[in-house]
Amino acid sequence: MKELIDRLKTSYTVEDYIQQRSDLAHITVSKETAVDFISHLQRVEGYKHLVILTAVDWIEDGKFQLTYLLNNPEMKNDINVKVFIERENATMESIHHLWEQARTYQRELKEMFGIDFPGSPGVDKPFILEGWHDLPPYRRDFDTKKYSEETYFPRPGREKNDPATYMKQKLYPNE
Amino acid sequence: MGKINDILSPFTAWKHVVNEPLSVKEPLKREGADRYRGFHKNEIDKCIGCGTCEEICQNAAIDMVPVEGKETKDGDSGLRPKIDYGRCCWCALCVDICTTGSLSMSNEFKWIDENPDNFRFVPGAENKPWDDKEKGWKKPDYHLYNPERVEMHELKPEERDKSFIEIIHGYSKEQALLEADRCVACGICTATCPAHMGIPEYIKAIRNDDLEEGLRILYDTNPLPEICGRICTHKCETVCSVGHLGDPISIRWLKRYIADQNPSDKYKEILGTENIEKNGKKVAIIGSGPAGLSAAHYLSLMGYSCTIFEKLPQAGGMMRYGIPEYRLPYESLDKDINYIQSLGTEFRYNTTVGKDITIEQLHEKFDAVFAGTGLHLGRSTRIPGTDHADVYQAVDLLRDIVLGNEVPVKEKIVVIGGGNVAMDITRSLARLQNQKYGKVQIITTSLESEDIMPADREEIVEGREEMAQIIPGWGPVSIKIEDGKIKGLNVVKCLSVFDEERRFNPKFDDNQTNFFEADMIVESIGQGMDLSYISDKTKENLKLDPRGRIIVDEYFRSSIDWLFVGGDIIQGPDVIHGIANGHKAAIGIDNFINNQNK
Repeated sequence: MKELIDRLKTSYTVEDYIQQRSDLAHITVSKETAVDFISHLQRVEGYKHLVILTAVDWIEDGKFQLTYLLNNPEMKNDINVKVFIERENATMESIHHLWEQARTYQRELKEMFGIDFPGSPGVDKPFILEGWHDLPPYRRDFDTKKYSEETYFPRPGREKNDPATYMKQKLYPNE
Repeated sequence: MGKINDILSPFTAWKHVVNEPLSVKEPLKREGADRYRGFHKNEIDKCIGCGTCEEICQNAAIDMVPVEGKETKDGDSGLRPKIDYGRCCWCALCVDICTTGSLSMSNEFKWIDENPDNFRFVPGAENKPWDDKEKGWKKPDYHLYNPERVEMHELKPEERDKSFIEIIHGYSKEQALLEADRCVACGICTATCPAHMGIPEYIKAIRNDDLEEGLRILYDTNPLPEICGRICTHKCETVCSVGHLGDPISIRWLKRYIADQNPSDKYKEILGTENIEKNGKKVAIIGSGPAGLSAAHYLSLMGYSCTIFEKLPQAGGMMRYGIPEYRLPYESLDKDINYIQSLGTEFRYNTTVGKDITIEQLHEKFDAVFAGTGLHLGRSTRIPGTDHADVYQAVDLLRDIVLGNEVPVKEKIVVIGGGNVAMDITRSLARLQNQKYGKVQIITTSLESEDIMPADREEIVEGREEMAQIIPGWGPVSIKIEDGKIKGLNVVKCLSVFDEERRFNPKFDDNQTNFFEADMIVESIGQGMDLSYISDKTKENLKLDPRGRIIVDEYFRSSIDWLFVGGDIIQGPDVIHGIANGHKAAIGIDNFINNQNK
């Protein structure tokens, strides 16, 4: 894959590159060049299959990381294109013109992370959450525990023990 | 045509009947991936029930529950995680944070049962088919908290070995915040602390940068935080859950950080002790060590007027006259003591009970008496030669150093003992040798082998850094004396110190002998109590156990109803037990006086 990376580097600014395995490379490119870069991989370099499009919330850095995992069926290797975008008012260019199924991933990212893909067909339609009014639940500032405590009742018969309190009862109840 | 096709097409499928099917055969037998996150496993003997898995679970799927055969004891809550698979989302955060590494997930993800309640169980306590499966998710090598403690800056050996200035610098704010951030707030430590301090709570106050709240939490259970923040034996750190796979939290240094950062002139305001209403009752306290000071503090808060009778010219007991200044500087000691004094406690220095005033007089003039007189009489090995004038007791020398009395410092010294007092006298004399001769020639030898030496590990390490030779595992036999002068110490190899019943019963190998050259010998093998301040008449009513120790109840009341006793003579010896005893005795004294007035 080294040759391919060197070739890509002559035409694109590669911000970061990690070869995790002989058949898996991670390449970080800027938001502005990303779609051009991905379509080059698809049309010229043989990365015809979009394996997954997903995101990571780097809340401390104020960024979302988009992960485009592409597969080259002939070479039998994968490239993970990483793109960091601003977390606030997060938007990204759509790639549904490259892969029809990308619109489903983009609809999911809109719902679960709040990342918008303007022009992606049906991007604003609910995906799996129905009647959701809270923060997008994959955002790290969404309090999963609070939500589950407020939404679901505990199964009958559950008991809770705080270790420090329990140890006091057992070892020094009168102090 | 269309209609005929509609009728015939189902039959065309029959042509595939002999083909190999494309679907997965017997899907229930398919194994999960090597790192699949399936049903949990827990090594139940390795687990300490810290509950950090429960705390991190974002689905409230884990409950800590008692498990048969698991006892609640120091360092182990006796609880184990019970998982509700109706809630578990298989994220493995519980495994990733597990402080002992006992929790993991097998790659088994299929299990069929008709009773939904069976999908709640305690992994490791109930045999499950996947308990022996090796594959699955294990605690990864990245960390959700830092396993390494924030390094403490201290003076290098060559910067400290000639003086008594404090070695440990203390944490800066940045360091304290980083160190506090490592705490998982499980609270396992609280039970082990003799004073049961609110450790996770005050560490949380550091994280919130609310050091006034931190000080209030410290004073709830410990009125000597500057002192304990420096020289506490920190038993809490020995059970710290984070210590299982990394360095334990620096609980002691974090306590010191809170105390150091709060200025003494703000203490009363922060602690809300500016106006304490007096109740008109008086308590006499014998000895101004940690137990006496602790009792005085908590009694003062309840409105009692306390008077402390102290034999020596200043307060603090062993904390001043035993622990060297390089470990506990006088200004830190005085900060804690002055605050207790400011609550209205009166100190009568240079006053020996039994001589300047009798214990009966104390009983007449005060509503109750608390004695925390400590262990100040050095014990001797009584080997031949110990009656020589150049054989000394460590506690006497340590006291003389503080009092400013002349201390004998010979060129070659042997110290007998392996506890913290032995280390204190070793390191003090090493400094004095360095000042006097420009070099250190001191050997410290103990019965105990290195792994079971009672001294704190850092004391041994730092002593060696200061050029003292610490040679454990030898038993003293006799002191060699020629022409009236000490030549050295004959020793024999000690094989074991305790017998099978954990009783002191040293075994020696007489064929392995050694000789440590010396012209002065210091004994530091323990201290005894001096009860001469209690008159014979009072002593008649004082019940002792077969080993000569005073019998007290849970509130440290002796068999004489107005006499409470605590500190090293009852429990310890260390500062934190003294503090805990003094606190408990204060409550006992309050109950006693209130009941008398009914």
